[in-house]
Amino acid sequence: MGLRDQITQDTKTILEDTETGFGWDISITDPDGNTGALKGYSNDIAQVVDPDTGTAITGRAASVALHFESLSDVGLSLPEGIADKSEKPWIITFNDIVGQSYIFKVSESQPDRAMGVVVCLLGAYKA
Amino acid sequence: MDLIDKQDNFEVIRDQIAAILVTETANQMALATAAGRDPTLWDLRVYLERSAPFEQFLNDPETDSGVPIVNIWVDGSQYNKSASNVMARQKSETVYNIDCYGLGVSADNPAGGHIPGDEQASYETQRATRLVRNILMAAENTYLQARGLVWLRWFNSTEFFQPQIDGRTVQNVKGARAAFQVDFNEFSPQGDETNILELLTTAISRAEDGQIILNADYQYPL
Repeated sequence: MGLRDQITQDTKTILEDTETGFGWDISITDPDGNTGALKGYSNDIAQVVDPDTGTAITGRAASVALHFESLSDVGLSLPEGIADKSEKPWIITFNDIVGQSYIFKVSESQPDRAMGVVVCLLGAYKA
Repeated sequence: MDLIDKQDNFEVIRDQIAAILVTETANQMALATAAGRDPTLWDLRVYLERSAPFEQFLNDPETDSGVPIVNIWVDGSQYNKSASNVMARQKSETVYNIDCYGLGVSADNPAGGHIPGDEQASYETQRATRLVRNILMAAENTYLQARGLVWLRWFNSTEFFQPQIDGRTVQNVKGARAAFQVDFNEFSPQGDETNILELLTTAISRAEDGQIILNADYQYPL
């Protein structure tokens, strides 16, 4: 196994380890309504960094990091931001640490095709 | 000088701008209701001198009413010497920043597709600036209902802000700043006038050679 394959496997382990790591249950629905339950890394904090000044400012930033293989295992393609109003967006749902569920849409996806990880930046969504 | 226990007119005008917006939006909502329209489309949340009034958009954007937020704050004043006097009255040209914030939350469209939150945020912001401009530039508010105090009111500019893509956040909030200039009088304390003058009695007479003589009897120094 080459180093890149090793990296991919290690990344999957890190993202999806719910016993000893930061893995978390995430539900994802594509624009056609196909839903998959997988594990990944979720993030939802009330602080963002102003890109102009580099200082922390008030805001709310949420994202998930998912492994390519896990998406493929549940029959889903790579999520992406959908600008076309005639289509449904990609929907991501996960709980916070106290069990409160939040629904987001994918605003932007940032795939890393070398490591096999896609980071999805999320926006608020009313289902 | 007596105790200065009054507002300056820049504060009075600031409060007046807010009062006009609050009163007229309530009136607009009543008119909308009477016309069978959705009154919330004419609603604004008006704040004065707040640093982060949009905080309520942040944590639960899905449940917020989405009514645009307007924040009025004093940016600065310049004093026109040529239209003022050094004793009692100065003409102030003050700019008030009227910041409008609109929230948009992406939502499912039952008719198909979805409603994008970034587009909605822009429309909400523009709707807020539309209401603010129309209300404050209406003929009845030519002098901001303070004729005799206000010389002129005028929107110098309106600037719309685009969100930074690098800092993409959960909420879609857009902003606009309307720079609203108001020219008005500021008055300064005049002190106790009763002790400024002392009564002087003079007698004017003509001497035999025609010379004019002024006689006055007073204590000096005063």
